[in-house]
Amino acid sequence: MTSTKKMIITLVVVAVVCATVLALFYSFTVPLIAKTRVDLALAGLKEVAEADSFLEIISDTLWNAIGPDENVVGIVFRVWPQGYGGLIPITVGLDNDRKITGIRIAGASEGLKETPGLGVKITEADFRGQFIGKSADEVRLKKDGGLIDAITAATISSKAVCDGVRNGIEKYAQYGGPEFDKRNIFPDADDFIAIIKDSLWYALKAGDTLGIVFLASGEGYLDRIVVAVGLDRNKKIVGVDILMSQETAGIGELIREKDFLAKIRDGKPETISGATVSSEAVITAVKEAAKSYGEYLK
Amino acid sequence: MNRWQIFTRGIISENPVLVIMIGLCPALATSGTVRDGFGMGLAATFVLFFSNVIISMIRKLVPAEIRIPVYILIISTFVTIVDYAMQAFQPDLYRVLGVFVPLIVVNCIILGRAEAFASKNSVLNAALDGLGMGIGFTLTLVVIGTIREILGNGTFLGYSVLGSSFKQYPVTFMILPPGAFLVIAVLKAMINKYVRKEI
Repeated sequence: MTSTKKMIITLVVVAVVCATVLALFYSFTVPLIAKTRVDLALAGLKEVAEADSFLEIISDTLWNAIGPDENVVGIVFRVWPQGYGGLIPITVGLDNDRKITGIRIAGASEGLKETPGLGVKITEADFRGQFIGKSADEVRLKKDGGLIDAITAATISSKAVCDGVRNGIEKYAQYGGPEFDKRNIFPDADDFIAIIKDSLWYALKAGDTLGIVFLASGEGYLDRIVVAVGLDRNKKIVGVDILMSQETAGIGELIREKDFLAKIRDGKPETISGATVSSEAVITAVKEAAKSYGEYLK
Repeated sequence: MNRWQIFTRGIISENPVLVIMIGLCPALATSGTVRDGFGMGLAATFVLFFSNVIISMIRKLVPAEIRIPVYILIISTFVTIVDYAMQAFQPDLYRVLGVFVPLIVVNCIILGRAEAFASKNSVLNAALDGLGMGIGFTLTLVVIGTIREILGNGTFLGYSVLGSSFKQYPVTFMILPPGAFLVIAVLKAMINKYVRKEI
């Protein structure tokens, strides 16, 4: 055999053996890899929101976080802001008050291209932890008037994360709500039937109507306030719950206090001193909605 | 040269990075922190060991003219196997090391050992050589990573060691590529003076 022939044969044999080994190994591992990818993606969602399952709303971008009673406990979304080295993949969890429950930033092995040792620190718990409990407006660097400490020598990456998270909240916060747990108002009910989509429900227990639950809204001091109200069969208010309100922290937001809501429920509403506009808005909204929806109880 | 020497010379006397001066590219890129350095070292050691064994096994069957393409085929097959196996069975480890695995293909330590040693020696010696060189590479990366991580970030394996005031103003350039050049140069000078006694 000539040396040229020997070279060709050897190289072909080695290439065929290598390709065969790789092909076999690939077909053996590819289903496992696909499964771990799905598991990892789910684990990534669970890292940012405490939920039992996730309902995909926009493919690979937005999910409703579903709690133990099949109720929506928040949303999870993904954003890809431009960082220093490339796009930064971020997963953000929000609760129903649109406060952040957690953020997760993909590491270098998942495509993060920030500078090793500097920008990559955005993935560390020290930095990510700062976002928990914050609302959209607070997610800015301190020098931009927010509450987030930038990473030394990685300001661009830090700012990119803040901007991405904040823009994401503004973009996706409207999804997934106002969904609320109607059992807060009728704990005994075993079923709710929607009469008017997203506004009025019958509360049922073993086929009997316990009452109705409906949404009421009014103009608060800063923005619209949405309240859930329950009426029993005698048109008596059994529960009031604030669903959406963005009033002044510490003043207008006092409408969330249990005392204030309990007094409305008991028919003896009292305005909160210093938060007259916000509390009046709630009281009026409940009263008027109770009047107009009361006929559904006949 | 006995077997013990074959195994140990990769650690100091023929350390791949600091004496032979090969594999500098991954040594610069992955020694910013101790964890990264250790991960790269471990993955490279695995591939180095198996490629040395296989290449030594087929050394008499491969014509000299085409030995390099054959080595590269074998090495890249192993690297791909490591990549798939990690993704399938150790996804957590892959999250940490995944980025380094494809880099091993171009790690010239592996091709260097295949050419300089495994293709001329018995399977057992080639295995010992691969293991020793791999350990030497790993230790070097861990030492460089330790120095760079402590000075550049004030931490060791992510735990703060120099206090929070240092962490506020670390020697940032140590974790950037120039820091790696500086540390490697100092370590090389020390090896030359105290181990090889050339100066």
